[in-house]
Amino acid sequence: MSKRGSTGSELVISGISRAFGPVKALDQFSLKIAPGELVCLLGPSGCGKTTALRIVAGLEKADAGSVMIDGEDLLAKEANQRDIGMVFQSYSLFPNMTVAENIAYGLRVRKKSKEQINKRVSDMLELVSLQSKINNFPHQLSGGQQQRVALARALAIEPRVLLLDEPLSALDAQVRTQIRDEIRRIQIESGTTTLFVTHDQEEAMAISDRVGVMQHGRLEQIDSPNNLYNKPETPFVAGFVGITNYIPSVVDSKNEVQVLGQVLEISEHSSPVKKGEEVRALVRPESIHIEKASQGAKIITKSFLGPMTRVGVDAGLADLIYAEMSSKEAKKFDAGDFVKISISSEMVMVESV
Amino acid sequence: MKINVSKYTTVGLVALLSLIIFVIPYSASLEYSLRGKFGKGHDFTNYLWIFHQDGFLSHLSLSLELGLLAGLLNLVLMVPTATFLHLSLQRYKPVVDFICILPLMIPVVSLAVGAEYSMPGFLQNSQFELVFFFVILALPFTFRVLDSSLSSIPLKTLVEASRSLGASWPATIVRVIVPAASGGISSAFFLSFALGIGEYTITSLLHWDTFTTWTVDVSQQNVLGSIALSTFSFLFAVILLIVIALVSSNRKKKQKELEEQS
Amino acid sequence: MSIQNTVPESAKTRELGTSRRQLRLPLPLLPFFLFVGFFLAWPISKVLIASFKDNNEKWTLSNYSPLFHGIYFHAFVTSIRIGLVTALLGAVIGGLFAYVIDAYAGPRLTSVLDSIAAVFANSGGVPLAFTFLASFGANAGLIKLLKSLGWDLYAEGFSIFSFIGICAVYTFFQAPLMVLVFKPALKGLRKEWKEANTSLGGSSWTYIRKIAIPILFPSFVGSFLLLFAGGFSAYATARALTVGNVPLIPLIIGDLINGNVISDKTHLGASLAIGAIVIAAFAMSGYIWAQRKSSQWRR
Repeated sequence: MSKRGSTGSELVISGISRAFGPVKALDQFSLKIAPGELVCLLGPSGCGKTTALRIVAGLEKADAGSVMIDGEDLLAKEANQRDIGMVFQSYSLFPNMTVAENIAYGLRVRKKSKEQINKRVSDMLELVSLQSKINNFPHQLSGGQQQRVALARALAIEPRVLLLDEPLSALDAQVRTQIRDEIRRIQIESGTTTLFVTHDQEEAMAISDRVGVMQHGRLEQIDSPNNLYNKPETPFVAGFVGITNYIPSVVDSKNEVQVLGQVLEISEHSSPVKKGEEVRALVRPESIHIEKASQGAKIITKSFLGPMTRVGVDAGLADLIYAEMSSKEAKKFDAGDFVKISISSEMVMVESV
Repeated sequence: MKINVSKYTTVGLVALLSLIIFVIPYSASLEYSLRGKFGKGHDFTNYLWIFHQDGFLSHLSLSLELGLLAGLLNLVLMVPTATFLHLSLQRYKPVVDFICILPLMIPVVSLAVGAEYSMPGFLQNSQFELVFFFVILALPFTFRVLDSSLSSIPLKTLVEASRSLGASWPATIVRVIVPAASGGISSAFFLSFALGIGEYTITSLLHWDTFTTWTVDVSQQNVLGSIALSTFSFLFAVILLIVIALVSSNRKKKQKELEEQS
Repeated sequence: MSIQNTVPESAKTRELGTSRRQLRLPLPLLPFFLFVGFFLAWPISKVLIASFKDNNEKWTLSNYSPLFHGIYFHAFVTSIRIGLVTALLGAVIGGLFAYVIDAYAGPRLTSVLDSIAAVFANSGGVPLAFTFLASFGANAGLIKLLKSLGWDLYAEGFSIFSFIGICAVYTFFQAPLMVLVFKPALKGLRKEWKEANTSLGGSSWTYIRKIAIPILFPSFVGSFLLLFAGGFSAYATARALTVGNVPLIPLIIGDLINGNVISDKTHLGASLAIGAIVIAAFAMSGYIWAQRKSSQWRR
């Protein structure tokens, strides 16, 4: 098995547009994926992520734009000539074939010899740790096992790019975490350039080299998970990735806003606003600080999340404000306590209402 | 995409050809039935002919009555059975499934022979004996329809909710299950009703005289009229089913819209 | 399973004693079993017994020997041939229709076509026979038209009252029935399989050959067998169309109980009826096997 980055191809998507009637599924969508990289497209349903994936796979046509793989024009090729591996959300294994026959399918199509096929099938089964299931049929496997076989089948043909269309969405929560780590491990080991589509931000953040957040057919921001979380470039990204408090606030001056009595600077990626405008300030729970007080905001909920605890506070607004702190610190507080809220960051992103 | 286009033409062409071959007899009979008296011109006299025959109303109402009873009996028998089968007696499902396939396995003529041999005198002298056999003949279709309808609703949950709120079994069935599975239930009713009014084999072999057997007898004298009748019943049934299908798909559409709004 | 406590078991079966768990009678199902027992099992078993008895009420196999030669054997063969031929025609034509509808018709058109198919599938019997008399009877417009074109079918010995005529007529309800029975199987072909085939490099033909056909095969065979059983056992249409010139088992059985009978042949009617059941049951057990196989894949 090759190491990271050594055999993967470079995928360059430029200016892809696709409309279904009046609806623009993709609008000048561009993305560059380096060899061996795992990039995730993340967004709500209808954002265009699946359409983009399917255009690369050849299962949909693009109205405009190009897709280059190692400099070759991919869109000029027929869907079944693209040397691409694809894993679908569910039910994609051929039910009339055993696990081995499923994995061997792409190799048979490519007219490989029997020995080559057998070796490759057993290598793949070893890769996904399912050697014992070699002669089972898909309906005899669990959902997680089926997806691992689907992955093995896609990788058996040594694809230049691996495409995954929400492969974990149909699985149970617990299985999901296991399989997603498996997918990442296998992807690194095989060094295949991978494009992964999902609506689950935790999933995307956990395994990707970079994540592209999409909305309405456009790429809002593509960055490492860390940067997406800490340096979101649009209010949508800030709200979609991680948990955010939306606090109603009033703009003080051109670049200052008053949030819960505190004056903060407006960050550069906020919506353009005017003085006196009512806006929403996006504040992360870990930036919300609470101190015990004799009166003021009241603690309503306390959720133990393991190492962290999330405390829900009623500050007289429509929604609770969530503060996140270490569970050790959270021990000081109880539901019913009165607290004073302060925001620990100096800058905050605001969104027009 | 290139392959699809040529597939479209060859397969579509073959299908179209077969369709034309299919339509010919029916359109021929339509033309035939519209022929006027003495073969001159075209009019609706043949369609009116059957209404004027003696015994039209009596036989029609008999068939309607038998069909109705068959439909009702089917529901009374199968709705509770299918319900309990789903709820707690699932292990008997394969048995019941198999039993309901039997009427397809057993040629109707053979069943008629059996009826002659086995039905007690009082039953053989009553035309209601037909109702019971209509129910049997309809079993394969009605059970399947009821079964899939009940599978698609959260039956256990509904029954538990109803019972925990204090309702008795009959009340639960009538007030909760029937409305929830109304689609399947009405289909099952119409299937047995339709079978009842259109059945010929067992009716004639057991020497009963319903609308179907009566029309066959009467038709010996008037071929045109009988053809008009057949054509009419075809058209009527087709239109009725189309209306039902469109209405129920409309209902489903509206329900989907409601769900999406909330 | 809390439902076990609120369900009839508590109300009705407890009288049997909860200790006797194995023999717990499914009391709510009793009406069903009684009904089927009395109106299905009882008549059939009576026929079965009668077929093994002679006129002196003694046990015998003599009622079965006529089935294997002479006119009765010939009738069985003819009925089976009609079943096979019409099932094949119906399966192929109906399968084609089912494919075209599944692939190209929108949801509304599909439900309309399904309704039409349902009517035609159940139209076997008298209406269908009359319709055909209209189209192909001696006075039919089509025949007259062909006559005017110089092709006098009847002069050449064509008759709807023939083996070919019956096969043609039967096909008109077999094909719609195939559409009804086979289309769900076509729907079971998931588009993910086609797409997976494409992404792995296979062509449309590869997909058809390696995936679609193997998966559809059990359903196709099952549907075929269902059509066969129907074609073999059909009575009403045959009755309306034949004047005794085509020997069919359902008609012979019908005649025997209709009183065109000499009394010593009533037991023969029973054995013929059982023979018919055996053949239809054979076909239907194949159908059940096929159903099981195909539902396994549609988990």
